[in-house]
Amino acid sequence: MVSLSFINPLSNEGREILKDYGDLNQLDNEDESLIEEVIHTQNQKISDDDIIPKSYKQLALKRIQWAIEKKNNKNYSQQEFEYLFNGDLYRQDVVAFHILSQAIAMEFNITSRETRLFIESQGRLIEERLAKIPPANRSEIIDDTLREIQTDGSINWKTLKDVIASKKLSLTQLLLDKGEIVLESDDFLYKFEDAFQDRPAEKMYDILVGEKLKEVILSRLIMQKTEEYIKRIKEMSKIIEIHPVIIELGEELKEFIPTEISKYNTYFAGSGGIYGTVKAGKLIREAFPPCIQKTIEGVSSGGRNDAIVLLLTSFVSYARLYPRIFAADSSVKVSDIDADLSITENEILPLIYEAADNCSPPLFDDQPQEKINIISKLGFGMHEEVNLENEGETKWYTPMSCEKIKIHLPHLCQPDKSCKGINNPLSCYTRNKFQLDKSKKAEKSD
Amino acid sequence: MFSKATLKERRQYYREEWSVKDLPDFITDNITKREFGFDHLGQGPNDRYRTFKGKESLRKFLRYKAPFAAYISVAFYNNPKKRQDWLKAEYIFDVDAKDIPIRSCQCDSVCEVCLGEALEIVNTLIDDLEGDLGLNNIHLIYSGRGYHIRILDEEMMTAGSELRGEVLKYAAGAEIPNTTFSNSSASNTSFNFEHFSIPVGYSRLFTQKVKYNIQHLVGNEQLDGINPKLMKDIMKYRHFLDDNKWGLFKSNIGPRRYKNLVEAMAKVNLSTIDAKVSIDLKRILRLPSSLHSKVSMKCVEVKNRETFDPFKEAVPKFVYERKD
Repeated sequence: MVSLSFINPLSNEGREILKDYGDLNQLDNEDESLIEEVIHTQNQKISDDDIIPKSYKQLALKRIQWAIEKKNNKNYSQQEFEYLFNGDLYRQDVVAFHILSQAIAMEFNITSRETRLFIESQGRLIEERLAKIPPANRSEIIDDTLREIQTDGSINWKTLKDVIASKKLSLTQLLLDKGEIVLESDDFLYKFEDAFQDRPAEKMYDILVGEKLKEVILSRLIMQKTEEYIKRIKEMSKIIEIHPVIIELGEELKEFIPTEISKYNTYFAGSGGIYGTVKAGKLIREAFPPCIQKTIEGVSSGGRNDAIVLLLTSFVSYARLYPRIFAADSSVKVSDIDADLSITENEILPLIYEAADNCSPPLFDDQPQEKINIISKLGFGMHEEVNLENEGETKWYTPMSCEKIKIHLPHLCQPDKSCKGINNPLSCYTRNKFQLDKSKKAEKSD
Repeated sequence: MFSKATLKERRQYYREEWSVKDLPDFITDNITKREFGFDHLGQGPNDRYRTFKGKESLRKFLRYKAPFAAYISVAFYNNPKKRQDWLKAEYIFDVDAKDIPIRSCQCDSVCEVCLGEALEIVNTLIDDLEGDLGLNNIHLIYSGRGYHIRILDEEMMTAGSELRGEVLKYAAGAEIPNTTFSNSSASNTSFNFEHFSIPVGYSRLFTQKVKYNIQHLVGNEQLDGINPKLMKDIMKYRHFLDDNKWGLFKSNIGPRRYKNLVEAMAKVNLSTIDAKVSIDLKRILRLPSSLHSKVSMKCVEVKNRETFDPFKEAVPKFVYERKD
């Protein structure tokens, strides 16, 4: 039987293991029992000595490497990471999980790509570990883990509201009846047997719900708990001194993650991920995503205000001045980059005003106050012009996510190929710009 | 009806017809925690940040000012005068009859037909909000040109915009349902089911909405993702849906174009509701019992949503007294 902490390292058992671990200074030391267990893992491939993690710290890094390779490496070999699915390594795995959580909390923002990579990898690990457990035991361990996390018998979707709000789980994935998530076969048959006329309801239960839905809920719950844990560590680090080994691991991850990713995707190379490599520069209209193109062409009455003031103003200003906002310090101000505001006045505002004029009817004709709102969204307070004296009176708004655009401005969201895998128009722009720059360079060298 | 109320008519309404008893309990409970807003000139609510100590002071204000429109915040604040110290907010679904993307009347503004269709839409929404999502304390308000579903479910009242957005997507049918299912406990292979083959959960909700949309098409609508040829075929084969023969409908449309249709319908579903209102935590909405002066109708709580008829229950007396 697999240990509960192998599935949920935040369980009481997991916390006990961490407590018993002792001196963190030994994290980088070679650990014989770890090496032995890894070598003797069934189906483990050992073609190279580097495949074997030799210390707890290396095991932590291997967890991250696994997540990156799994996602990006076309020649990914599961056998090289087989030990991550070896239930006998649960103690080492729990320690690796906790030191990673702490290091990530110290080094990265909660919304950063690195934190997301770690949280998502935890969810994926759980799903894959569960898939390897024989069905007879799997059901028991899922129920035990769910029980320990927060559920008792039936689950109301509201108990998962944080998981749903953070989009780790969609309500549409769940089978709901009066707020309860239908998970058990008896419950399903009692409620829905009559609804199925062409197919046996028992079989439909197995297909639509079965163990799979419980596994999904379980993994998403643990992802959510991991995120909350990282947030808590961040908070606590303000009052408690964090062990230097953890700080060191965080710094190492800052180099390690982009280096590993860059092996598979040159676009993501460099510290800070996609945004880290993108420099401020002249706006390139061909690189604008479809929603921005449409906004500049003009929006009709009903969606004009949000499109110009909320979407375009923040998009254009960040795209021109600070495209790496999502990887960097969010307290940045316009004048940190555009010291005399000449770019803002000569490039950014004219583009926004042009789009406002293209609206039907032109935005400022009937709503001149929106000019003030645009200035305020750039961080210069409620004034008619940008002025350094007023900077900081309001916040420089960050660009709307695709999710928000879909809700606020659904008519503008008409994704094309360039939007694939993107969750913010600014990311789309930086990617398009990167690709345009690359193809221009290639043309020149030809 | 549907013509502007004069100042004289507004005064008549608030002095002779309106009573504090018309205010629903969910509005008068904790009235001191709400922000009020007013439009005195018919140019939008620019008299905001108002508060009232109770029903009586509100009554005096309405009698004296006879505003063009009156609004109340969905939010409750410790300090509503400054919109500070936010406590919670009602969760809203706003369906405006004139903004429904598929309206069989195709009128320029609102009419009996599209108001009836708006009522059908909100009725289905409430059924799903209660039946699937288990939300409670739901009130339906006729706003004058459509409907507001005002939800005072405690859990949703304290939810942020993200959760509100997720619930909205479910209830609206804005997501394309999953069609591929793989479950190792059932088989090692995966199964494909179109939304209409799953008569439970979100797929059922989505199917119901798609059927409603298709059955209400006139055929000349311009919908993203549906070209004239596809629209023509939808109209030609939609009779199969009368008997729920979805398989025949899909096979006549063709699998690739059916995918386009499903994507387009998810967008239509989302734009049926004013999503901005649902995720807004500080919005002001028309005050139930107040006068919608632009159309000379009362904004009223719907007591029986199966039988409600705005032309019987939301027409102020002065409309009947008009000479023209």
